[in-house]
Amino acid sequence: MSTGVTEETGERALIAGLVGDRPGVWDLAGEIPTAVLRELGRQGLLCAQVPERYTGRGYTSERNGELTAYVGSLCSSLRSVMTSQGMAAWTVQRLADAGQRQAYLPLLTGGKLAAVAFSETEAGSDLSAIGTRITEGGDEVVVDGAKVWVTGASYADLVLVVGRCTDGAGVVVVPADAPGVRIEKVADPLGCRAAGHASVRLDSVRLPSSALLGGGGQPLPLLVTTALAYGRMSVAWGCVGILRACLDAVTEHARTRYQSGRPLAEHQLVVRHLAELLVAEQSATRVSEHASRCWDGGAPDQVTATVLAKYLSSVHAVRGAASAVQVLASAGATDGHVVARAYRDAKLMEIIEGSSEICQLILGQHALSR
Amino acid sequence: MSDTETASADEAEISASLTRYLHDKLKVEVAPDDDLFATGLANSMFAMELVVHLEQTFGVMIEGQDLKLDNFRSARSMAGLVTRLRS
Ligand SMILES: Cc1cc2nc3c(=O)[nH]c(=O)nc-3n(C[C@H](O)[C@H](O)[C@H](O)COP(=O)(O)OP(=O)(O)OC[C@H]3O[C@@H](n4cnc5c(N)ncnc54)[C@H](O)[C@@H]3O)c2cc1C
Repeated sequence: MSTGVTEETGERALIAGLVGDRPGVWDLAGEIPTAVLRELGRQGLLCAQVPERYTGRGYTSERNGELTAYVGSLCSSLRSVMTSQGMAAWTVQRLADAGQRQAYLPLLTGGKLAAVAFSETEAGSDLSAIGTRITEGGDEVVVDGAKVWVTGASYADLVLVVGRCTDGAGVVVVPADAPGVRIEKVADPLGCRAAGHASVRLDSVRLPSSALLGGGGQPLPLLVTTALAYGRMSVAWGCVGILRACLDAVTEHARTRYQSGRPLAEHQLVVRHLAELLVAEQSATRVSEHASRCWDGGAPDQVTATVLAKYLSSVHAVRGAASAVQVLASAGATDGHVVARAYRDAKLMEIIEGSSEICQLILGQHALSR
Repeated sequence: MSDTETASADEAEISASLTRYLHDKLKVEVAPDDDLFATGLANSMFAMELVVHLEQTFGVMIEGQDLKLDNFRSARSMAGLVTRLRS
């Protein structure tokens, strides 16, 4: 790769500068300042895999993965917004026609914020139950439905809404300020508290038919899997970030905190936590790297590799965050603290983009079909 | 695959290669016109694997309007899509 260490250091310094020591405060407030999100968006860092011809950074999945892990180590709320923006961009890249790509991708790398809405009250794990309707007529489409738990929707300028078309399904790019759109923030989420989760109601929202990506009519399963593939990759790397933050916090604490006349690091039962955290961080990194390389190489087994990475990383992040809280004990037991956030944030990563159970079903099927 | 091979691989050959691939992956006999989605043979994971497989094997990009259900219903319709994208 021609992109040297310098650029990487540069983007990290930029992110570190914008984020500072505020993730704890954002967590408590349940809000990230929009200016921070827009600036990262304008730098193309929220969806860095957008090709350069659409004014994106053109990162590989692997490079974007390391960036995602870095952001995830600082703040899972911000990383969640990044996941949504990247998933939106990827969905446009894949489903849109040439004109729509030209219209939307530069917005997504130019400071506009986007979210992707699949879930409905009756359609969670089972997205085949999606009831939102996209009615096509002449040169316009009308969207009716209600989405829940859409990450980033409270910040979004554009919401990509998945619904049913006359034939198959489709994704409509809905401006958040279009008449008939109502966005309502989820009150007090367990974790990723500043990620802007919201419900999105759509009542007879009329849009030009150019808002329907690729003219719609795509198979729902294909459409969902396409979008989720990016989301899963991003969550896998985000969980790598959670584990790195936990490992750093725990090793630092174990070296400096003394009990019974010795640093915690000299108590064997504590050292075991350190070892397990290291193993978790390394395992999650390796599976995520493998999935990204499959993605970058266009290997068909990228689909399974992505699910495996998401599954393993999130499960490890949940366990790793729990042991990080254990080792920090009272020092990490306040909201906003890095390990306290990790503990709450990681748990949600086991639920989204295909829960652990859904991942197990997919991976079990894969094992059977080999 | 060389250019000449690519050019000579006509729609029927592509369709045959795809039914072999489908048979291999799904472990059931698949006729060129079997509707993969209506019969529940294809799940969402497999649908995406198909897209990547077509792109890698036949050197095409399947995006936007080409991701229509009709293009993926059967081996024959996928062969039609590939042929069209190559010409
Ligand atoms: C923090 C967060 C962010 C989110 N962001 C988004 C977003 O950006 N966009 C969006 O569209 N949605 C989003 N969601 C919604 C998310 O996709 C769903 O919560 C998820 O798909 C699970 O659906 P559910 O909550 O309805 O649980 P359910 O589907 O009701 O599942 C409940 C439990 O049953 C298990 N289960 C369900 N079906 C099966 C089965 N067939 N076999 C075995 N076990 C099963 C599940 O694994 C789970 O443990 C978000 C949710 C959260 C919590």
